[in-house]
Amino acid sequence: MSGWRATASLGRALVLAGVGLALALVAGKPAVLVLAAPFVVLAAVTLVHRPTREPRIDSRLDHAVLQEGLGTTSRLTLTGADDVEYVTRAAGRPPYVVQRPHGGRVGGLLGHGTPVLELSPRRWGRRLLGEENVALYTPWAGFRFGPVARGGQPVRVLPTTAPYDSRAEAPQPLGLVGSNRSRRAGSGSELLGIRPFLAGDRLRRVNWRVSLRTGALHVVTSRAEEDTGVLLVVDALADHGVSEGVDGAASSMDLTVRAAAAIAEHHVRAGDRVALRVVGRGREQVGYGAGARHLRRIQDQLATVRVGEAGEGSLQLGVTGGAVVIVLSPMLAESIGTVAATLTRRGVAVLVVDTLPPDAEPAVAEGVDPALASLAWRMRRVERTVVLDRLTALGCPVVAWRGPGTLDDVMRRLARRAQLPRVVSR
Amino acid sequence: MTPRSQLVLRAIVLLGPVVALLMTGPAGHWPPLWIVLPVAGLGATAAAAPDSPVAAGAGLVVLAWWTISLGDGVPAWVLVAAVALLAGHLAGLLAAYGPRQQPLDRATVLLWVRRGALVALTVPAAWAAVRALHGEPEQPGIWVLGVAAACVATVAATAAVEVRRTDS
Repeated sequence: MSGWRATASLGRALVLAGVGLALALVAGKPAVLVLAAPFVVLAAVTLVHRPTREPRIDSRLDHAVLQEGLGTTSRLTLTGADDVEYVTRAAGRPPYVVQRPHGGRVGGLLGHGTPVLELSPRRWGRRLLGEENVALYTPWAGFRFGPVARGGQPVRVLPTTAPYDSRAEAPQPLGLVGSNRSRRAGSGSELLGIRPFLAGDRLRRVNWRVSLRTGALHVVTSRAEEDTGVLLVVDALADHGVSEGVDGAASSMDLTVRAAAAIAEHHVRAGDRVALRVVGRGREQVGYGAGARHLRRIQDQLATVRVGEAGEGSLQLGVTGGAVVIVLSPMLAESIGTVAATLTRRGVAVLVVDTLPPDAEPAVAEGVDPALASLAWRMRRVERTVVLDRLTALGCPVVAWRGPGTLDDVMRRLARRAQLPRVVSR
Repeated sequence: MTPRSQLVLRAIVLLGPVVALLMTGPAGHWPPLWIVLPVAGLGATAAAAPDSPVAAGAGLVVLAWWTISLGDGVPAWVLVAAVALLAGHLAGLLAAYGPRQQPLDRATVLLWVRRGALVALTVPAAWAAVRALHGEPEQPGIWVLGVAAACVATVAATAAVEVRRTDS
C-alpha cells in the first residue's frame, strides 16, 4: 500500500467535531458544543497540514558482508519528505538475527533524525537483512504514507573463526616456500647435519670448529622449509543438533563450518596452500591457494554452504601429493568414512575432526514413536563408534574439535609417521 | 512484548470516554450501566485497535448521552469530560503511530503533550463563551444558520481529505 491516506484519528476528529456541532445546534445543547470544540480545532489544524507531494523511501545497510556476531545498521533515506513529521519502521524477524530496538519496531520524529535499526546476525549463512515496512505521518498525524514494504538486502554472514592455533608441523610438506620443515636439505634454519665441503657450498655455511678439528672443510646443512597443501573436506550432508547462533548451542554444521574457517585461517597465515571441498547439496569448492584473498574466498564459500544430500561424483576430492586432508564431519554418513579410509590406505595424511555435538539429538518427525527414534539414534551412534575405531586402527586419527591445539598432537604423529617407509595400496 | 508506553496510552484510550461519560453524574444525571458498559467495550476495542474506525464509536455515544441526559445547562463538569475525551483521542492517535510492540520516544510524547495542552485551551474558552452567551435572547434563524454552516464545514472537510497529488 502506498500513497497518502487519511488516518483513523483524522476521521475520528472530523466525526466527533461534525456530530458534536450538529447535536449541539439541533438539540440546543451548549454543553455538547464544549465537548466538540477541541475536535473542531484538531480537525482544522490537521487539514491545514495536508501533504502535497509523495516522498520516496530508500533503505540500505552499512555492510554487505558480516561476520556472525557482528552488527550493522539499517538506514532510511527519505527524499521529498517535506510533509513528513513522524517515521515508523517495523522490521521483519529473520531467523538468527538480533535487532535493536528489540523486536525491530522503531519510530521517531523526523526532525530528530531518521530512526535507525541495528541488526546483528547470530549465525553464518546467507541472510536477508533490512526487510521492513515503513510508514510516514504528516504533522498532527492526519495523513499516513504507507506502510511501504521494503525488501531486504542479502548479506553473507561469514563464520566466526573459532580461537585456533597450532604449533605442529605439516606431515608431508611439498611446496616451494613456507614454514614447514621438509625432509630434504635446503636453506632453512633447522639443523640437518654436518658434512664435508662440496663445490658450490656457500662459505657462510662452513663450520670452522669442525673443520679445524678434522683438518677438512665441513659445512652445516639444514632442512628446507616448504609450504604444504591442506585440503579441508566439509561434510554438509546433514545438520545434527540445535543451533542457537554464535552465543548459544552449536549444531554439527556450526562446529564444522567454524572449525573449517579457523583451520583455513591458521594455515593461510602460515603460508600454506589451502583448498576446500564441501560434500553436500551445493558441492562448493575452492582450489588450492594462499593469501588473504584466498582465505576470503574460502570463508565466502563456507558462508554459503547448503546442507543436503550430494549427487554423484561429489566424493572425488582431487587430493594432490603431499597434501594433508582434514575431514570435518559428524561421521554419521557412511560415504565420508569410506573416503577417509580409502585415502588413508593410499598413504595420504588424513585427519578426521569429529564435529558431532555431544548432546545432539535426532529431529523426530511427526507420527514417529519417540522411543523408536531414540533407539535408532543410539544404534546409529554405536555404528559411528565402530567406524571411528576402524579409522583409528587404519592409521587415520580422529579428534573431537576443541579449539586451540585440537590438531597439534595428531599432526605431530602424522609428521613422524610420514618419515617412516611404508607400503601403500594404489 | 508490549512496551510500557503503549500500555499507558491504551489505558488512556479505554478510560477517556468512560470518564467523559461518567462526568454527567456529578452534573446531575448518572449514566445507567447499560450505557457505561458499551462505552467501556468500545473503548477497549479502540485500545486494542487504535487504528480502526470503531474507535470513534465510544466518543459518539458520549456525545449522545451528554445531549439527552442534561438540560440546556453548561455545568463545569463538562470541562473534565471534554479533556478526558480529548486525552483518549490523542492517546489513540499516538498508539496508532506503529505496531503494538513499538515503544514511543520521549520527544514525541512531549510534543503531543504540548499540542494537547494547546488544543485543550479551547475547552475553557468555549465553556466561557457558552456561559457568557447563555440566557441571551435567541436571534431568529440562528440555529438554522449554524446547522447549515456545520454541514458546509463537514462537506468541505470531507472533500479536503482527498489528497492533492502532484507530479513529483
